[in-house]
Amino acid sequence: MSKTQAVIEAVEAKGHGAFVESYDELEERMVINMGPVHPATHGVLRLLLELDAETVVDCQPIIGYLHTGMEKECEDQNWRGAVTIVTRMDYLAPFFNEQAYSLAVEALLGIEVPERGKYIRMLMAELNRLSSHVVWFGTQGLDMGAMSAMFYGFRERELILDFFEMVSGLRMNHNYIIPGGVWEDLPDGWERAIEDILDVLPPRVREYEELLSLNPIFLERTNGVGAISREEALALGATGPIGRAAGIDWDLRRDIPYDGYSQLEFDVPVETAGDVYARYRVRMVEMHQSLRLIRQIVDGMPSGDFKNMDAKLTPPPRAELNRSMEAVIHHFKLVTQGYTVPPGETYAAVESPRGELGVYAISDGGTSPYRIHVRDPSFVNLQSLPTMVKGQLVADLIASIASIDPILGGVDR
Amino acid sequence: METAWLQASEWLERAGALADEGWQIRDLAGVDTSGLKGFETRFEVVVQLLHTERKERTTLHVMTEGDPPTIPSVVGIWPTTNFMEREAYDMFGIVFDGHPNLTRILMPDEWEGHPLRKDYGVGKVQVEFKPQPFLQIETPGQSPSPQEALRRVDRLGQVVPATDKEPGQA
Repeated sequence: MSKTQAVIEAVEAKGHGAFVESYDELEERMVINMGPVHPATHGVLRLLLELDAETVVDCQPIIGYLHTGMEKECEDQNWRGAVTIVTRMDYLAPFFNEQAYSLAVEALLGIEVPERGKYIRMLMAELNRLSSHVVWFGTQGLDMGAMSAMFYGFRERELILDFFEMVSGLRMNHNYIIPGGVWEDLPDGWERAIEDILDVLPPRVREYEELLSLNPIFLERTNGVGAISREEALALGATGPIGRAAGIDWDLRRDIPYDGYSQLEFDVPVETAGDVYARYRVRMVEMHQSLRLIRQIVDGMPSGDFKNMDAKLTPPPRAELNRSMEAVIHHFKLVTQGYTVPPGETYAAVESPRGELGVYAISDGGTSPYRIHVRDPSFVNLQSLPTMVKGQLVADLIASIASIDPILGGVDR
Repeated sequence: METAWLQASEWLERAGALADEGWQIRDLAGVDTSGLKGFETRFEVVVQLLHTERKERTTLHVMTEGDPPTIPSVVGIWPTTNFMEREAYDMFGIVFDGHPNLTRILMPDEWEGHPLRKDYGVGKVQVEFKPQPFLQIETPGQSPSPQEALRRVDRLGQVVPATDKEPGQA
């Protein structure tokens, strides 16, 4: 049993509330709690730190403060209704949760999504990647003392959330991507709204880079900080920008394409340093690549159905209910019990802004999921934090947490 | 995508061989199969593996043994399974033999039961945390505790003789 372990047990026996847990006079080591409520832990993350003055000797993330049992709740919903649960997990990237879940259910059902549905999904996902990365940009800057980064990041996020609201009616937790496609077609005037975004965002992302990329203070705080090697990243299962910054050339959109990504052209940024600055570089390039993807998606947007129109899966249009008895029956069945999914299991994964977001789903042939398990990238990536920060300063720990960009809603589910 | 079933005793050896071949672990989830047909063991661990060079995925089901359900831990082979195994232990009570720190990860440490088991129903279990030491404020001579007050006055406000029964019990 390590010393930190012994301290944890002492803390649990004593009750919470104290920041300083112990102080070893001989070795001059102090064990303190950082969080669960702390502005730099990006949510309710608690870190048990063993400090030698300002140097981190050991760090243990303690999670679960936001656990609400969403996987269990999914088992009480029907297959369509569980989308409303999964979308709340990683709340900065809700479209990816919906997309991964929908891909899993579609694989179980064995159905195809129409081309337009796929394109709308990719459009929303790439916009969501941007809106998530600008929040990361803001918080990373804020944690390094660059207050204006936060203002700029949230200003741009607002533009994108306005578009989400126009399309899905909601700014977060959209419940828009569903098994079979998307719930509604894009509204009138979406082309103009997206052109506005595409006019404004590219120069602004370049402005961000001017703000931080060569900023001497930012470079000093990030270069060589929180570094992990490629082998460590592989062993710890780090995916997404953390893996790519450490030299793992892997992006699910390119390597195991889903939806329509095989038809689009984009580059996957890879760095080798594995430190906070490398992660910054990767995410910055990803923002440019997302804009490039959105341009291609908008230009290539096909016409036609936006969701699978199988009457057993999709409620009929309102007008049909007045004419067709069959439509009324289908509508009644879908509303009262939902559709059944053939027995089986599947695992579907998407490349979320934080890495591989996977959904493992089991069906017992009924109208609700038998088991939904979400592999959340934040949950797995958080394990690399102790490796990043051991031997570094507390201030560098803050930089490392910000560069992992954990979303505690996804970590705890 | 292939699927294979394994016994718990084969798992460690097989995991080592797979890791040497370059398979990475992407997900590890516990499953309670009590509601599914054609399963002998109640608890399984389902592992998603990925080979990045071959761009292949594969699924492994590892059956647990004994009571409590036990399976060897693979943290020594794939360190990334540390949190995942703790989650499966927390949610299903599957014991991972050889795990360095097998404690609850999402639920509070004093929680009883394993929530994702099929016999652990939603809303059927009273959600109540054990009182923390610093919350226990004892002030002698004040009004009775809520339980005692409920025993003495029923819903219509009439005083009833105190019984040993909990409120709500028939």
